[in-house]
Amino acid sequence: MTTLKPPAPAAVTGLPEFAALLDGCHEEAAPGALVVSRGGHTVASALRLRTGVPVPGSSGTLAVASGGPPSAGRELVAFADRLVRLHRAAVHAVLDQAVTRLGERTSEGTSLLNRQLVQGSVADVALALSETQDLLALPSLTAAGLRRAHADLVRAGRTVLKLYGAHSLTSEGPGPVLYVAELLGNTYLHLGSEWGDTGDGSS
Amino acid sequence: MAAAESDRTTVLRGHVAEAAAELRARGLGLELDQDPTAIDRWLDLRAVELMRSCTIPLEYVDEPIVAGPYTYDMTSCLEHVVTIEELSYGDTGFMLACPGPLMSGVTVGALGDTSQRKGYYERVAGREPTWTFFGLTEPRKGSAATELEATLVPEGDGYRLSGTKRYVGNAAFAQLGVVFCRRAPGPLGIEAVLLDTDEPGFNAEPIPTVGLRGARISHITLDDVRVEPEQILGFKTLKSTRRGLVGAIRTLQRFRPVLTGTALGLARAVLDHVQEQRPGITGTDRLRLEELRDRVAAVRQRNYQVASAIDAGRVRADHIAGVKTRAAELAEGCTLLAADLLGPGSLVTDPWLNKAYRDARAFEFMEGTGHIQRLAVFQGVYKGTFLKD
Repeated sequence: MTTLKPPAPAAVTGLPEFAALLDGCHEEAAPGALVVSRGGHTVASALRLRTGVPVPGSSGTLAVASGGPPSAGRELVAFADRLVRLHRAAVHAVLDQAVTRLGERTSEGTSLLNRQLVQGSVADVALALSETQDLLALPSLTAAGLRRAHADLVRAGRTVLKLYGAHSLTSEGPGPVLYVAELLGNTYLHLGSEWGDTGDGSS
Repeated sequence: MAAAESDRTTVLRGHVAEAAAELRARGLGLELDQDPTAIDRWLDLRAVELMRSCTIPLEYVDEPIVAGPYTYDMTSCLEHVVTIEELSYGDTGFMLACPGPLMSGVTVGALGDTSQRKGYYERVAGREPTWTFFGLTEPRKGSAATELEATLVPEGDGYRLSGTKRYVGNAAFAQLGVVFCRRAPGPLGIEAVLLDTDEPGFNAEPIPTVGLRGARISHITLDDVRVEPEQILGFKTLKSTRRGLVGAIRTLQRFRPVLTGTALGLARAVLDHVQEQRPGITGTDRLRLEELRDRVAAVRQRNYQVASAIDAGRVRADHIAGVKTRAAELAEGCTLLAADLLGPGSLVTDPWLNKAYRDARAFEFMEGTGHIQRLAVFQGVYKGTFLKD
């Protein structure tokens, strides 16, 4: 599968940046168009998808439209590949921010980063990110492999969010970006979406 | 489950479930998700009536909750858990947006003297709906009660209170609540203060959230708020060793099974939603659904045991932490499963599911994070108590 350079984690700083990168994924997979899922749904930035309705929980940055004819298999697979890479970059960014944030906080006179449960969670997320990176580098990775990678990133994202406590649920925190990444996977990478291994560019 | 339940509990469950069904039928959860202040339009509902009197002792309530042959005030932890679980099944956010004592009432009950309890309960049980808050968590310190920094400084025959609190439910809409603060260094210097939000220097603003918007979590700024000695809970009747910190710990321990019930109510609602949307579910999908039903049923039963033990005076921190952790993870697991089982795009085509999916993330950190709970479980394992009934 040919891919362009994945987004740098540092670029995924919030919902507006994520939305812009999502639009870039659309453009790379289907130049001049938006990719429509097998279920007929399109999710993009509200700026790009002016006919859509706001995605709940996205503070108006993303929109969804339904009822369009699905994109071609090749475009769907190319888009799925980019979505997983964007999701990975988002989890990576949230992990980096968590380490910085925890390093600045103390409890009982010591940095929260000194707590073994915290260190274990950081390591678990980093291991998941490392494995996903290696999976995405496989020339033989199928559409099913992309779905599994997305599921791994959902788990890793939820693990890293636990390091933020209540901040993870706030609109200004890291939760919204990972929530929309999960929603995009549910829309475009779902097991039941039947886009399967089409043999038209998925490997 | 019902077989092991007393008739009194079963009657209460049915009574509350009817009130909760109204929330679902009217779609009020989604309405509050759009506009958390919409609770003001629904104050005549039975669910609100239940929340307003929940845990207020009968002697302060003009019209107590009566169902069948029984009268309830939900001061029993088990009955509190059942009530909150069923209301959460109706809608978690709506339940949390309601007026009533919620957590602050437990603190006042645990620490307050006769006069303080009377003043608090009479006000919250009065004709006007009264929202309350429980102000423990602070920026950068979380809910580590021993490290809080909000400070009481002596002034004349009273004090001035300054500091900040964060992630406090309903604070921006409340009339009164409890603030934990520091009167002196060390764990024995912590106090719980009953505070009126009209006091000069008190300011609270809602914090926008991606989920559980009905909880209306808020940021509180306390700028030289005047505090009289009679506002310090238990100041005249309890030693400092039995006051502020004890109140925080007792409230959190008493409330964790309630929070567990909140998570389980949402989890049950999600699984039932999947069943409603896919009545003919078969094969592996059905097995996955049944697996989570079993897990929810198991922790639910355990939670009732934990709550009953609290009613009997046996407060087991490790068991409380265990059910809270399991329920919080299950609630998230149920929403993830539902998004999977209800097909591609379900999170954009099913508003109810989308909301539950966002709401379920809150349980992880409410009443102590999973990490904190695991430490309590470990202590139970180390002492040999956790795996003993």
